Amino acid sequence: MIPRQPCYSEGVSKVTLVAGLLATAACFGQPAPLLDTLKAELERNMGVLKEKADPQPYFLQYGVIEQQSQSWTGTFGALQNEGKSHTRILDVNMRVGNRKLDNYHSSGRGERLQFSSPMLLPLEDSAVDEIRRRAWLETDRTYRRAAQRLINLKTSTQVRVAAEDDSDDFSTESPSAQVLPLPKLDPGKIDWAGRVRTWSGLFSKYPSVLGSAVSVRMATENRYLVNSEGTRVQHGRGFARITMMAQGKADDGMDLFTTESFEAENVKDLPDEKAVETAAGRVAQELTNLLKAPVVDPFVGPAILSGRAAAVFFHEIFGHRIEGHRQKDESEGQTFTKMVNGKVLPDFLSITFDPTQKKSGNVDLNGTYAYDDEGVKARPVKVVENGTLKTFLMSRSPIRNFPNSNGHGRKQAGLDVVSRQSNLIVESSKKVSEEKLRDMLIEEIRRQNKPYGFRFDQVTGGFTTTSRASLQAYTVIPLIVYRVYPDGRPDELVRGVDIVGTPLASFQRIIATGDRLDVFNGYCGAESGSVPVAAVSPALLVSEIEIQKKDKGRDRPPLLPAPPANPGGAL
Amino acid sequence: MNRSLVLLIGLSLAAPAFAQNSPDDIVLRSMTDELERSRTLRIPGLEAPYFIEFTLDDAHVFSTAAALGATLSNSDNRLRVPRVKVRVGDAKFDNTNYIYSDFGSGGGESAPVDNDYRVLRRGWWLAADRAYKGAVESIARKRAALKNVTQNENLPDLWPAPPAQQKLPARPAASATNAVWVERIRTLSATFLDYPEVVASTVSFNTTRSTFSMVNTEGTVLQRPEPLTHLQASAAAFAPDGMTVRDSLSLPRTEEKSVPPQEELSKSISQLAENVRALTKASVGENYSGPVLFEGIAGPQVLAELLAPNFALGRRPVGEPGRQIPFLASELENRIESKILPDFLTIIDDPTKKEWNGASLLGSYEIDEEGVVPKPVTLVEKGRLKTFLLTRQPVRGQQGTNGRARLPGGFGAWQASISNLFVNSSESVKAADLRKQFLKLVTDRQKPWGIVVKRMDFPSGASNEEARRLIQAAQQSGAVRPVSAPVLIYKVFPDGREELIRGVRFRGLTIRSLRDIVAVSEEQYPLHYLNNMLPFALMSGGGYVAPASVIGPALLFEDLELERPTDDVPKLPLVPAPELRAATKK
Repeated sequence: MIPRQPCYSEGVSKVTLVAGLLATAACFGQPAPLLDTLKAELERNMGVLKEKADPQPYFLQYGVIEQQSQSWTGTFGALQNEGKSHTRILDVNMRVGNRKLDNYHSSGRGERLQFSSPMLLPLEDSAVDEIRRRAWLETDRTYRRAAQRLINLKTSTQVRVAAEDDSDDFSTESPSAQVLPLPKLDPGKIDWAGRVRTWSGLFSKYPSVLGSAVSVRMATENRYLVNSEGTRVQHGRGFARITMMAQGKADDGMDLFTTESFEAENVKDLPDEKAVETAAGRVAQELTNLLKAPVVDPFVGPAILSGRAAAVFFHEIFGHRIEGHRQKDESEGQTFTKMVNGKVLPDFLSITFDPTQKKSGNVDLNGTYAYDDEGVKARPVKVVENGTLKTFLMSRSPIRNFPNSNGHGRKQAGLDVVSRQSNLIVESSKKVSEEKLRDMLIEEIRRQNKPYGFRFDQVTGGFTTTSRASLQAYTVIPLIVYRVYPDGRPDELVRGVDIVGTPLASFQRIIATGDRLDVFNGYCGAESGSVPVAAVSPALLVSEIEIQKKDKGRDRPPLLPAPPANPGGAL
Repeated sequence: MNRSLVLLIGLSLAAPAFAQNSPDDIVLRSMTDELERSRTLRIPGLEAPYFIEFTLDDAHVFSTAAALGATLSNSDNRLRVPRVKVRVGDAKFDNTNYIYSDFGSGGGESAPVDNDYRVLRRGWWLAADRAYKGAVESIARKRAALKNVTQNENLPDLWPAPPAQQKLPARPAASATNAVWVERIRTLSATFLDYPEVVASTVSFNTTRSTFSMVNTEGTVLQRPEPLTHLQASAAAFAPDGMTVRDSLSLPRTEEKSVPPQEELSKSISQLAENVRALTKASVGENYSGPVLFEGIAGPQVLAELLAPNFALGRRPVGEPGRQIPFLASELENRIESKILPDFLTIIDDPTKKEWNGASLLGSYEIDEEGVVPKPVTLVEKGRLKTFLLTRQPVRGQQGTNGRARLPGGFGAWQASISNLFVNSSESVKAADLRKQFLKLVTDRQKPWGIVVKRMDFPSGASNEEARRLIQAAQQSGAVRPVSAPVLIYKVFPDGREELIRGVRFRGLTIRSLRDIVAVSEEQYPLHYLNNMLPFALMSGGGYVAPASVIGPALLFEDLELERPTDDVPKLPLVPAPELRAATKK
């Protein structure tokens, strides 16, 4: 379990706790020794640099990400590995020059700027000497690189044509100050190694499952941040996750897998044993069915994307394209850059990114946080209202007409911030029941005179390219796909397809949505590393979707049958 | 999985009876049973396997690191790394020794840590299946490649070796618990609180309690513990001109109990700090050409660095036209019977010796990783190269293996490494007399001073970035293999006065320089290190290591060159170092 560490003393009565304001007030007084150490060292460094350095820094930030985790993986009833880790990583961010032109100024050619290197910090707050030493050394290294870059930039900006977007390099934000209670990692009294053995053992009953794994991971991620503008925040949250995977090989050599995962902020909110066992059985059975399913040919036609599939669809195709920094980078495709206040989605759809929303239904959302990695307070951002694009996801790197952050500057430890997604929430005003949506699909199949349509039930994720040099296309990788026939035949499981398409065209094809929201929790990888995200969407009916054949392995299934379970056992 | 994890190779003990049905027995049983069945792997119309080998490294790795009295990180991991090799065709011509031989041989896989026969055996089943499919593909491609290239010499692909059996019991538990090590390392790291000029320091400890198992289709069965502990420390400071000076300490031991007592470690750490302190005060050296004396440990350091990687001959794989082959040949290739050292030096590699001067040697083992029993080998006799360290991989001009397979290699083969290298001399003088001889050389050459090196940075504590710079610099000056920098290097004046210098490195110090050794000391000095085949035996490199010892004398060279690098030295940080609070409190 990951109980939050109370920010009140043991003696405080429950009545006080109910009063949220009082509890918050109490938290402000909470000691934050790491923040104090970082702040003192930051001020000392900034003070001297301001006085002696040329060029001068105008901004300095120390951000520490503390990760503590414990994990167990089982396979076919045996423990594959278990691990524990606890690290504190300091990232130093410095801006030299001024807001108009600093070392982070992009040359507009998609280059990656990174001035600091991740620095391991001692785990104990009391290790003041070593914490300061390390912060000091890294500040020095960062300053050297940043100053060099600014000097080079000043020369080259005089040479090159003016950029299309001449907005500042760094936004002005009011400082944040809050010390929130931090969660502590506590796996509780549960024998997790035993559980992954049991759960993973369930896959042994399915002979066509060649490889499988069940993992449990619980972690806390606490963040400490101070900057030279007076920001001083401490916050954190827990992440608990159960994932399972089954993998097999069809007779034609195609590698297939099925997965399931459960996420929660606190360990106690993970599903119970029974639910996990049921899921394991389903994952194994789905794989078994999938291995025998027919392979489909490329197709264009109507389809339903389940809520989870639609959530991935929006994350990949829409979300990545409204990340602010891409609008300024001239190597990017900039699909939406000049479409603000223009229609990008059907009128009945709105999209909000909300890192402050903790749950959808009873599911914890993975992309929830209190402050972003530039110390900007999290807030809901309505990016699309009734089909009209309103804004972008912003970090402190301004773009034309959007001079401020909206709390979406995110990163993993060791990397520099860019604008990233949080919890993507799709709202629809054209909702029908799931049954009705299916009826509408059949109608559409008939209208288009197609032999069948598709139902995408589960997807594992996807990828998209936003760079201008490549095709503005996306791929979504479905795991469970059904062929839907208009003549009343039951839906037929098929394999070997990927969804492909181009973003703008795809959005125009959405006809209606279901009335039930589904959550896809996951981790998104991009320039600033892996960050936890969520996407929440109803099912979508689309008039046209394109599927292509999946790249398949060439190896045949194992030459020998599975070995016996015991020494000397018969085959 | 921890990629910088140090797994280890080599070493053994006398063998009492092996308990039946012990956990290790279940592991071995899963291997032998599935190995037997793997013989029948067959795709109709394609080659059958003629040799299959399963190995398993079962490791429990604990490590802790600390700085200025504070713990930086702790980790404790159990892992099992399986490896399967399948050879198809026959020993004369098989799928190995080809640029893409390792295709399909897996990697990055792990076996369960539970002793579950069924799941372990499943793992071997699938790994062998993959390896066999990779092998048949690889032999076909190798044949096709050979249609386009002519091989200089027709060598077979595998030398025969008699089967061997070795089963040794697991080692007794650790001498100290992990918590004790955390405390010991933390305490040692606090030593640097007394040295405020040392701006960065770390002390770390890593212990790998590991068991190596291997079975092959020729009947070889090995199972033995391969424990290894490694205590490391590093310290760096800025000289007044901004140059970073540093020194490091590396103490590898096979057994936790042979790690020196705390008091002795504490002295070594203090010495390290003193060295760095002295280096901040040292003057920058200048270009030099003349006599150089490598005293004490610096003698075996130079010998290990220049000779060890070159005693493993290796074999260039069959390539494909236009493909660059990632293979660095030994500088001693084709030099059998050539003079590579002065007449008075003889070198013997002897894994059968366990002790030297009452202390344990690090490179001892009874059977190598391919199941071959090694004998002492005279590599250099009276200055002439006699043979190489060999594995079952046939190499040009050599017949058979001499049991030196100690590291995973490329292109389907194991790699040879030194074990315990003894550099003996038929003519030597007392160390004190060697220094006199050196000073005489200096005077005769009418030099104002000569150079004495007391410690090289080998194995090196350099960061990856620094190592990259050194390698680049070496390549620019035309060296095949870069040589580590001297750490403790002195100008020594004819009157015997010593002056520590910094910021210089050797130029043109290569294996050929060793022929110009004019004299060596009677005293011998032991260097124990972990050979990982990386340049400078870089400590941060990780990967697989072969523990090794080099016992050698101090060396006097008549003429070597030193240069002061022309790279710019970064200025001192603008912000002064933060004051140490703990030190002020003391």
